[in-house]
Amino acid sequence: MTGNSVVFKGTRKGLSIYIDHTADWASIKSAVLEKVVKGRPFFEGVFVNLTFTGKPLNEAEQQEIVALLEEHIQIGSAEFLGKPEEAAEAPHPADHFESFTGIEEGMTRFIRGTVRNGQRIFYEGNIVVIGDVNPGGEVIAGGNILVLGTLRGIAHAGATGNKDAVVAAYCLQPTQLRIAGMITRAPEGENQRPQYPEISYIKQDNLIIEPYLPGKAK
Amino acid sequence: MGEVIVITSGKGGVGKTTTTANIGTALALEGKSVVLVDADIGLRNLDVVMGLENRIVYDLVDLVEGVCRLKQAVIKDKRFDGLFLLPAAQTRDKNAVKPEQMVKLCKQLREQYDYVLIDCPAGIEQGFNNAVAGADKAIVVTVPEVSAVRDADRIIGLLASKDLYNPQLIVNRLRIDMVKRGDMMNIDDTIDILGIDLLGVVPDDERIIVSSNRGEPAVTQCDSLAGKAYRNIAKRIMGEDVPLLPLEAEETFMDKLLKIFNLNRKKSI
Repeated sequence: MTGNSVVFKGTRKGLSIYIDHTADWASIKSAVLEKVVKGRPFFEGVFVNLTFTGKPLNEAEQQEIVALLEEHIQIGSAEFLGKPEEAAEAPHPADHFESFTGIEEGMTRFIRGTVRNGQRIFYEGNIVVIGDVNPGGEVIAGGNILVLGTLRGIAHAGATGNKDAVVAAYCLQPTQLRIAGMITRAPEGENQRPQYPEISYIKQDNLIIEPYLPGKAK
Repeated sequence: MGEVIVITSGKGGVGKTTTTANIGTALALEGKSVVLVDADIGLRNLDVVMGLENRIVYDLVDLVEGVCRLKQAVIKDKRFDGLFLLPAAQTRDKNAVKPEQMVKLCKQLREQYDYVLIDCPAGIEQGFNNAVAGADKAIVVTVPEVSAVRDADRIIGLLASKDLYNPQLIVNRLRIDMVKRGDMMNIDDTIDILGIDLLGVVPDDERIIVSSNRGEPAVTQCDSLAGKAYRNIAKRIMGEDVPLLPLEAEETFMDKLLKIFNLNRKKSI
């Protein structure tokens, strides 16, 4: 484990990378690689503006680290603001991808029409699909996901870390359901089409599916 | 001014070439002027299915490269008035043609024929991009099978990204006996996922294999149910309202009885 040699603080527009002053170049590179791979879905489809703080890098190192990152994300710009130790700011305590908190009241994107096989919708906030999500289609939201139709593809709610996000659909038949870091799939065997809308959420560390209102199961 | 229609599917082997050949022939039999364009460069089949392979001198790639003129590349089918074929090249590959060249070609063909039917290759890469580049409308062919429907869904999404909205669907190789047993998807399930208008349903028919081998499109065989279905599809393309062929056998007393007790299973996908 590379410990805290590198700390990421990210929003979709900008990624701030803090480099620990005591870390060596090899462990910095592997830490950066590890974290950018982990955070990749967060950055898909956007041009990310990088800001490096903490330990200053020389020109060769700067080019190397940008090349390394370019393999995984699209880079808009890269700024190197590292300063030698004496003016060190307190390091950020932990990696921090801004987790979306507006699941009760927050920004929402509305998608009209069906999300087809091969299409991928990502949004930091909540997503409402007025249509179906077909198998092979992916909907990834920082917040909740609502499908006013049949969900047959993959839905990932709370993708930036909010475990309270929910996935709901008129007909919940996903190939995979993900909320925050948990993944689940439908039980094996013939699937009966659900007769009522259902909602899925994390309850006591388990990803469960329930009728949209208690008592609606016939 | 004619219409340029691309016949595509995503998945291979579902019947694009057969559909192109048969619809084209049927339209010609209805008195229209039709040119069939084989866009499957490197793996050309339309010429074989039409029985015209030994008449090929120049092909699509020769034409776009300026090696020959349109009249030299297009083959007139002597059996059917108004039916023409522009074959693909066999010794080149799909990078030999660019989408811009196809747009220019389709513009030219549109002025000379009532219908330009483009047989799209399987896949979603250069071959597909070339085939759809000059098209006004699209027909998506699928078989009632999970993997084909998945690919058809993908293709419909890609067509939308190329501004070809509202493609029409042909469900091919339907086996009504399997549908009744619950072993094959039915039409409604297919349309439920794909969500596009149904142009026609073609039943699975042995005659198709025979007609491919002979190079005689099934629409010319009166005893081919698939041929009849294709002729109806051609009429619908021309704007006529033709009801779907009855493919169902009559409901037997046993079927009715089982229905009452809810004992006939229906497979959901």
